[in-house]
Amino acid sequence: MSPSLAPADLLSRVERDVQRAVRRSRNGLRYAAGTTRPKVGRTPKDVVWRRHKAELWRYRSDSRRYRPPLVIVHSLVSRSYVLDLYPGNSAVEFLLREGLDVFLLDWGVPDEADAGNTLEYYVDDSIPAAVAAACEVAGTDDVNLLGYCFGGVLSLLCAARHPELPIRNLAAMATPVDFSQMETITALIRDGRLEPDDVVEPTGNVPPDVIENGFKLLKPTAEVTQYATLWENLWNDEFVEGYQAMGQWARDHIPFPGAAFAQTVEGLVRRNGLVEGTFELGGETVDLKKITRPVLNIMAERDHIVPLAAAEPLLDLVGAEEKDELRLAAGHAGLVAGRKAAKVTLPGIAGWFKEHSDADS
Amino acid sequence: MGKPLWRRAVDEVDRRVSGPVEAGAHSDLFNDLVTLQWRLARGAQREVERRSRRFLHAVNLPTATDVRRLSEQVASLQRQVRDLEDRRP
Repeated sequence: MSPSLAPADLLSRVERDVQRAVRRSRNGLRYAAGTTRPKVGRTPKDVVWRRHKAELWRYRSDSRRYRPPLVIVHSLVSRSYVLDLYPGNSAVEFLLREGLDVFLLDWGVPDEADAGNTLEYYVDDSIPAAVAAACEVAGTDDVNLLGYCFGGVLSLLCAARHPELPIRNLAAMATPVDFSQMETITALIRDGRLEPDDVVEPTGNVPPDVIENGFKLLKPTAEVTQYATLWENLWNDEFVEGYQAMGQWARDHIPFPGAAFAQTVEGLVRRNGLVEGTFELGGETVDLKKITRPVLNIMAERDHIVPLAAAEPLLDLVGAEEKDELRLAAGHAGLVAGRKAAKVTLPGIAGWFKEHSDADS
Repeated sequence: MGKPLWRRAVDEVDRRVSGPVEAGAHSDLFNDLVTLQWRLARGAQREVERRSRRFLHAVNLPTATDVRRLSEQVASLQRQVRDLEDRRP
């Protein structure tokens, strides 16, 4: 039998429950009506370089204490605001507070004109140009590079193909290298059930709903439990704000340029080219052993999009002598957003870059 | 304070159901069905376009294919402008 409550305790519990019920109703109505869409990506920034749809942003800060600057390369399939979700829950904001000079390379939203963008377009042209622009704007000789998700793949390919680029340190976050371990999400195209052309829409790009549905199929029941969690915490304004922002990001995919997709399917997914050492770009085989700068591999142990086994082999593939890894008990987006990111992941990432950078005296 | 009863029930159902549902969604049979559905939808779309084309052209209206061709041409022009921009010293 449960112990009986004192009248004062009972009263305070009733009061709390009533307050929560009121807040739950208010937040529920707002959520259903869609009147409180979170304003994402609000950290002040300047566009310092632009090429076609790609933009390099430099975040404003009065407390830059470390050099070289950190250039974050975002993925090709999602929006970059996951790295700057909202004040108080923003990876960018955290890194700025730590004294880093943060740049973010955002690819924009591809349309028909971008359907022909190959991986070479990103790896050989855009990233090197953005790195040069970051050096110029920051007044430094080199940069630190951090690739998130597929942006990590692009960063690795770039560093391997262009060892002459002024990249001091390289970090790959939630980055797949062993595509044979991504069976679930690649099943339809790996075994030839579908060819890249079958998935591409008339614009020449892979439509975002294909990517979104692919992710949803990884955990088909997740949406139900997420709604249950929302209902349980609907009284909590902070939780609802975070839930809405993450929910918005998870549904906010962008088209994948068709030409880059075809290369990804053929070279990375079907031939597992990074692990097998067979991946070709610009007529040359990409050799990750050419990456000799310090490398950090950041992996999420509960990542269902890029499973641990897909990200794990990176350090064996690169030629760097100094290589570290960070394994965190988080999910794919949980690496960069949410309470755990602020307490565990981001301090780890910022700490590694600070250790490998010069502090202003 | 622990989780409310309803939430524990949801978690329990999820624990029992998610495994088999995920296994089903990741099975060869499911992948074959998705592929079939994909091809049927594409085929149906093409057939509708083919059948409606004659009617739409008869009343002087553009079809989806016409619009697509136009946007391909615009995209091609955009790409040429980009190339010119990139070549500019």
